[in-house]
Amino acid sequence: MTALFLANIAPIMFVMLIALLMIGYPVAFSLSANGLLFGAIAMHYGLLGPDLLQALPQRIFGIMSNETLLAIPFFTFMGLILERSGMAEDLLDTVGQMFGSVRGGLAYAVVFVGALLAATTGVTAASVISMGLISLPIMLRYGYDRRLASGVIAASGTLAQIIPPSLVLIVMADQLGRSVGDMYEGAFIPGIGLAVLYAIYIAIITMAKPTWTPALPLEAITIREPGRSAGYRSLIVIVALSVVAGWALSAYDVLHPIWACALVGAVDYVLALADKYLKLRVLSLMTRQVIIVMMPPLALIFLVLGTIFLGIATPTEGGAMGSAGALILALANRRLDRKLLRQAMDTTAKLSSFVMFILVGSTVFSLVFRGVNGDLWVENLLTSLPGGQIGFLVVVNLLSFLLAFFLDFFELAFIIVPLLGPVAEKLGIDLIWFGVLLGVTMQTSFLHPPFGYALFYLRSVAPSEEYTDRVTGKRLAPLTTGQIYWGSIPFIMIQLVMVGLVIAFPQLVLASVETKHFDINQIQIIAPEIPEGANPSLPGSDVSAPAPSSDDPMAPPSDH
Amino acid sequence: MGFLLRLSRAIDFLNEKIGKTVYWLVLASVVVSSGNAVVRYTFDTSSNAWLEIQWYLYTGFFLVGAGYTLLRNEHVRIDIVYSRLKPRTRAWIDVFGGVLFLMPMAILLMWLSWPVFTGSYKLHEYSPNPNGLLRWPVKLMMPVGFFLLAVQGVSEIIKRIAFLMNLIPDPTPRHAHGAAAPDITGDMVIKSEGKQ
Repeated sequence: MTALFLANIAPIMFVMLIALLMIGYPVAFSLSANGLLFGAIAMHYGLLGPDLLQALPQRIFGIMSNETLLAIPFFTFMGLILERSGMAEDLLDTVGQMFGSVRGGLAYAVVFVGALLAATTGVTAASVISMGLISLPIMLRYGYDRRLASGVIAASGTLAQIIPPSLVLIVMADQLGRSVGDMYEGAFIPGIGLAVLYAIYIAIITMAKPTWTPALPLEAITIREPGRSAGYRSLIVIVALSVVAGWALSAYDVLHPIWACALVGAVDYVLALADKYLKLRVLSLMTRQVIIVMMPPLALIFLVLGTIFLGIATPTEGGAMGSAGALILALANRRLDRKLLRQAMDTTAKLSSFVMFILVGSTVFSLVFRGVNGDLWVENLLTSLPGGQIGFLVVVNLLSFLLAFFLDFFELAFIIVPLLGPVAEKLGIDLIWFGVLLGVTMQTSFLHPPFGYALFYLRSVAPSEEYTDRVTGKRLAPLTTGQIYWGSIPFIMIQLVMVGLVIAFPQLVLASVETKHFDINQIQIIAPEIPEGANPSLPGSDVSAPAPSSDDPMAPPSDH
Repeated sequence: MGFLLRLSRAIDFLNEKIGKTVYWLVLASVVVSSGNAVVRYTFDTSSNAWLEIQWYLYTGFFLVGAGYTLLRNEHVRIDIVYSRLKPRTRAWIDVFGGVLFLMPMAILLMWLSWPVFTGSYKLHEYSPNPNGLLRWPVKLMMPVGFFLLAVQGVSEIIKRIAFLMNLIPDPTPRHAHGAAAPDITGDMVIKSEGKQ
């Protein structure tokens, strides 16, 4: 009996972990308790040496001094400040008006603003709540299909998970031992691709079910001069000119595409401001408003993502700059007060603490799990799958998709990814591709009824009782929880389509990353020799234990 | 039980104060890190001491703030089952988890990390990076953080037991789903109700 138990200690440990997690005690502590319990058992039967525990403080020190993980509080803080800076409200109002008179326009606006907000923050709650408060009442007022309206808001909000700078990709990069910058570049096209797929779905709906997505009546468009049209002509001209100018600057190698976009954006902004203050009246009210409102988020995207993609800033620096930028923006809009600041710091500190403690817990767990050869068990299990790379990817994504019904992405990323990464690498799978793929799959964990966070956030701000519409004065029915659940299902399907596309066309991820790999190799080649005696592997060496490499907290300890 | 409840209130007060102090380090780390970035872009130099301060500050709020996070019930749970249970059953789970999961972990890690700090303190250890910082203050945060977590664990267990004995109302802070949103969700909902 004991022999049978010891021979299968790794699988038993894993099953036990699932059981403990399901009880509902905080994940961080259940993880470490499970690790310590099995560590004690393994030591008792001589499977592990007693020195194993000595490695723990060193691992925790490695987590503390990990600079990549610093990006987590920065992007969280930035998202929380931005949420209240008034930027999201302005964007939703203006873009909603811009697209409003088209059929399905409000839904397109939600996708567009969702993608734009996603590119400035990594926090889903912020986007879903803003859109639920601002766009949902308008969509209900003009008779949008309720399931479509709630689905598109929840799904567009989750874009924050996959479009950089997202928290999940930071964790993924850290766990897979890849650079966050590469992970961001790899996720960019699939992320934007998802937004495009959402828009295509809406386009199909507008044709198949025109009554689901009515256009706004002209009187609902308030950004126009009295008696004039909504003023799309100058908007179309400006957009066309900007696209051509940006394309020309980058196609003829005058500027890097990112600099070209920044320059064109700046010119448009100056033009709009000139039009406003010099009363030139070249641009319509709508055009002016759109340009002025779009500028703060675009500037932030440039400040954060642009500098990361150009290789000027590390993601941690980008996050810090973005946080500073968000603070300045909120100050400029007179939205920053002590209460907001305290709340944002409070939430950031608590979020960082629980995330880092899950990491501490999973470190304890995986230290013991590897000690009892759990990694070999997982490897044997997964390498024996039929179908090689594709078989592995299909199974792993299916597994993550199912686990996502009850785990959220931090748990998935910290528990599952370190087990899967080495196997993927052995099968010759590029880890950036793998990480982005899992990121897209895990994004569905936000949309799964009944526990998806995005649905939950939407529920918390959607009307749950019959209410009187402010503008029309009509009584409107509440948005039922059933409608929210059903609404998410088409978007989960779209998500799976994207997973399939990324598996079928790895170039979607790798095309933008590969060019940069070359640079990194170059940098490594010209790096100076590390002088004798210096300890190159870690920023801080410990005096009490031999130091395992601290930039990978999941690496097996050096004494094994 | 009266003594234990007073102890629990004292612990809650302590971690509340500590939590609300260390969260200012979030702002400090934003300022330091963005300052570092600007200096690096403009003057193309950087200082190891200033770079190391970044993660000293980070450790200051995530590790030292762990007890505060527990006080606020913000350590994330898988609540697919938990959320459907009666408050008394949840309290039993929290007592059980506190005694068997949290306390052993927090005490063991506190005990293991103490010599790491004392060793560093005695040797007057510095960072191996040129101009790096003195190491013991950040290493001290390990035993301190786990200590604060452990005492908060004690307080939570006392409160749950008192609740099960019908001495106090349900002590579990009510909040949304455990993730980043709760405070903000609550506030935004209030705001939207005000509008209508």
